[in-house]
Amino acid sequence: MIHDALLILWDCSHTTEAEQGTELVEYANQGDSEIFGRINDIAKSHHRIQRFVEATGFRSRKTHAGLKMCGLYSQALSEGFSEVLQSYKQDLMEVEGLVIGNHNYTLSFVYSYVEKYRGLFNTLNKIIDTIEQRKLTGCQILSLLHQYILTGNERVHEAVVKIFSCVNKVFVNQLCTWLLYGELKDPYEEFIILHNQTHPGVSDTFLTSPTSACEKSLVSTLQDTSLECGYTLNTNMIPYFMPLSLAQEILFIGKTIILFGFDPKKVKKNSSFVANRTLMPLQKLGVESRRFTIWEDKEAEFHEKLQKLKNPEVFEVCNLRGVIREIKECVTKHLWTVAVEEAQLIHELRLMKDFYLLGRGELFLELLRLTAHMLDKPTARTSTRDMNHAFQLAARAVFLSNSADIEKFCFELPYVKPNVSTNTTTGDDDSSTVADGWSSIILKYDFKWPLHLLFTPEVLARYNDMFRLLLRIKKTQHDLHALWKTYKQSTSFSMCQLHNKLMFLMDNLQHYMQADVLETNFSRLMDAVHRTNDFEKLKKAHANFLADILSQSFLTVTSSCDSDCSGDTTDSLNNPVFCNIMELLKLCHSFCGMSDTVADREAEDYYIRGYSDRFSKLVKQLMQLLVSLRDRPCGVYLARLLMRLDYNRWLSGEAQLTQSVTNMLRC
Amino acid sequence: MPSEMITLQLGQCGNQIGFEFWKQLCIEHGISPEGILEEYASAGSDRKDVFFYQADDDHYIPRAVLLDLEPRVIHTIMNSPYAKLYNPENVYLSKHGGGAGNNWASGYAQGEKLNEEVFDIINREADGSDNLEGFVLCHSIAGGTGSGMGSYILEHLSDRFPKKLVQTYSVFPNLDEISDVVVQPYNSLLTLKRLTESADCVMVLDNTALNRIASDRLHIQNPSFAQINTLVSTIMSASTATLRYPSYMNNDLISLVAPLIPTPRLHFLMTGYTPLTADHELNTAPKIRKTTVLDVMQRLLQPKNMMVSLSPDRTNQHCYISILNIIQGEVDPSQVHKSLQRIRERKLASFIPWGPASIQVALSRRSPYVHASHKVSGLLLANHTNISSLFDRCLQQFDKLRKREAFLEVFRKEPMFKDSLEEFDESRGVVDDLVQEYQAAATPDYVHWNPESSQI
Repeated sequence: MIHDALLILWDCSHTTEAEQGTELVEYANQGDSEIFGRINDIAKSHHRIQRFVEATGFRSRKTHAGLKMCGLYSQALSEGFSEVLQSYKQDLMEVEGLVIGNHNYTLSFVYSYVEKYRGLFNTLNKIIDTIEQRKLTGCQILSLLHQYILTGNERVHEAVVKIFSCVNKVFVNQLCTWLLYGELKDPYEEFIILHNQTHPGVSDTFLTSPTSACEKSLVSTLQDTSLECGYTLNTNMIPYFMPLSLAQEILFIGKTIILFGFDPKKVKKNSSFVANRTLMPLQKLGVESRRFTIWEDKEAEFHEKLQKLKNPEVFEVCNLRGVIREIKECVTKHLWTVAVEEAQLIHELRLMKDFYLLGRGELFLELLRLTAHMLDKPTARTSTRDMNHAFQLAARAVFLSNSADIEKFCFELPYVKPNVSTNTTTGDDDSSTVADGWSSIILKYDFKWPLHLLFTPEVLARYNDMFRLLLRIKKTQHDLHALWKTYKQSTSFSMCQLHNKLMFLMDNLQHYMQADVLETNFSRLMDAVHRTNDFEKLKKAHANFLADILSQSFLTVTSSCDSDCSGDTTDSLNNPVFCNIMELLKLCHSFCGMSDTVADREAEDYYIRGYSDRFSKLVKQLMQLLVSLRDRPCGVYLARLLMRLDYNRWLSGEAQLTQSVTNMLRC
Repeated sequence: MPSEMITLQLGQCGNQIGFEFWKQLCIEHGISPEGILEEYASAGSDRKDVFFYQADDDHYIPRAVLLDLEPRVIHTIMNSPYAKLYNPENVYLSKHGGGAGNNWASGYAQGEKLNEEVFDIINREADGSDNLEGFVLCHSIAGGTGSGMGSYILEHLSDRFPKKLVQTYSVFPNLDEISDVVVQPYNSLLTLKRLTESADCVMVLDNTALNRIASDRLHIQNPSFAQINTLVSTIMSASTATLRYPSYMNNDLISLVAPLIPTPRLHFLMTGYTPLTADHELNTAPKIRKTTVLDVMQRLLQPKNMMVSLSPDRTNQHCYISILNIIQGEVDPSQVHKSLQRIRERKLASFIPWGPASIQVALSRRSPYVHASHKVSGLLLANHTNISSLFDRCLQQFDKLRKREAFLEVFRKEPMFKDSLEEFDESRGVVDDLVQEYQAAATPDYVHWNPESSQI
């Protein structure tokens, strides 16, 4: 019977439960059956572990390839298991020797040897259960093991630590190649980072979801620069002990290192950034030389620090974080030199302001003179070419044509084919009223290599939103100014006054936009840029800058958060203040066009009355918006704008607002 | 090149301030007195071409026309180091060189006689520019050439170039001291009529105030012409700073002028500048004084910094029609809004009650080649109703002479006044209307205001 027990414990006998029950009754002494039962339990749990090890272990993978339970982590796990089982086997050998030598040993003697493994086996089985039930793979296993480290039972603790260190080795090795070389040695998709082209949406949804406030999500979407190499965080795989921010940092480091490998100076022919496996060896040479410049002599140091993390005693989140921070610092510094010093980022930022934000007023004034007639009409097939030609002419006129900066910018006027057929679908309302140049013009910017980190398509789309608004304001202002000399000679006082009010409005709107919004925020951005030498901080400052100018120009949506991220077209801009301003711009536009159409005095009076009414209505509406937007951030900026407009308290008097509203203008 | 300006310098005073203005521009743009760009200035992003044009041999030549009926001042210019700067074809001296004898009528008549030759020069200059924006006329209203010939040119500029802006820098005589030009009140009034009717924008440079500022603010006893003219050139260069140093707005003259002048006739602008330092103080003063935007903007609103002497507004009825501040120097842009807010809260400036008005602030760069003694400096361009008191004084002086029928014979010699002195009465009427209109503009009823003359 003792031999039976030993056989069971060795996992050799595969008796079923029913057989055991009947057998035991026949042979057992009193109490022995119970002890045998216990031994049997231990044996059963050992059996399960053993089966797991066999199924997932290294050897098993060799024999039947393509099993569902394979992977580097589960392999390491099974290795860890077998290591732990080693001591059990030793004990068993010892007791076997003793039992063979002396037949007087009882069943309980054997039991006394194996009893201590009950707890351990239970724990291990629990782990196995969880893994099997939840189908855990990769880093999830690591995470699970880490949870079991903290246990009161010393033996269990030791064993789990041993297993953990086995699995951790895999993790640290993967981390090491990723962090230092940007390579993902992960054939089973077990690492926290995924080379993924099939589900690009994963990272996006996960980035925007935790930020609740609208403003914040705008900042983050502006900051979110997809590095175009298809690497994303595999959120399922992130161990529970690793904060999201840390995982993002890890992702960032690897991506940046990959990015350095794509320096166009080194890889000229292969322009597509999608990592093509077959081309990789060709790039290797370039990557290799770049790599050394990133790390300089720190490569060995970081490698050693990472290897130290294999020791479970050292493997603490804070240590991991410490190493990663160090590496990140090194990477961002390198990024700084590449982006800021080599690509002259600060100069480029000034260019963005000069061109997208109309900083070069005289250039755009000249451009408007040359192209206003063209932009008023729906875009034609040749519009883009004409526009760029005019841009060159304007640049020459203000003596900018010989500067290399001009060549970085060009315009595009997307040509929309007018609908000839009559098949009307839902979206046809838009196409029937073909957009004129003002609403569709796009300013394109050809920036130097690593700056796509900063000027993502999303960012450029936003800059274009600003550009279109500013250009429209400038154009309206210019049109109104052009009429000044005409109205100066006219005798109609009311006409003069209306022109005057509209001009006042446009001048102050522009002053607000350019001085209060753009200049102020830009000087803040420059301060931030000069204060830091961390590219990430710079990126954040730039994203903040853009978000601020957009919200202060009322180009962001305040009512709903979700629609903000969805579309980058002007249609989604339903900010009430913005709509009001657009209405005012339209009013000015039709006012400027009036002199061409109206012939006699009577009609003129009629139009003036109409326009005046509309003007006061819109201004009043703008003032009232202030009341409803008081609590929003955009209300503060509206108050700023209105402070300029209502500087002598005339508009508020005219709008007959209550004292409380006028008081609010002071804030 | 768009938005070019042609400067016309007329008479003794006009040529003197014009000379100072070009000197200042040359220094600010790094152009040598011979018109050659200095080596250190070759990389500048300024727009020299608004006021200069480039000749074939890389000389920068001012778009200036120098006109005078007597040779003294022009000869001085032509003997100065700046002689080679100007296009000699643009310097016109009347052949007899006898001047206008401080007589408006003589100046006007000679203007009429020389009109072909003068406008040939102006037309040629206008043809040489791509997109001429307007003319700047420098003259004094008291003498003979600047006032009389200036008036003739003003009237005909708007006929010949109806779409171009005409801005004048008009020097008003010092009323504190007895002038050697006895017919000054006549000349002033006759010129004022043309300034009211034919100019688009008049920058009033009041010699009375300039002298007061020189002695009070700069502590110069008996300031010389040159010192006064330096003040003028400071103002002229600062008021064109946004045109010459391109920035996000106010890139053309119209965008400076149009917001300041909401009604056709009220186009007389006052200027103010702060902080001012005289050359002799420069050595004693600390290197660069720290001035903030708020400081500058507040000081600009003080009457003592105004370069027009106004009679005190005792009834407190006058107000600003509009204000434009051009701030130069190292400015923190966020200060602008705060300063505007402070001024609004403290009600440091009162505005018209009949329409929207505000202080517009344009930030401009400074010339990198000029040593600035202050961190921030500012120019104020303001349309203020109390400027009528200046015209009122002109009227009073005119009336004093006219009542006595003094010195009218010199005018009667000229064809315009041979038969009648109607022109005097007409001009008086125009200026009187202007004063009334300014006074009316300080009240809410201005919207319904009608000049008496037009009612008849």
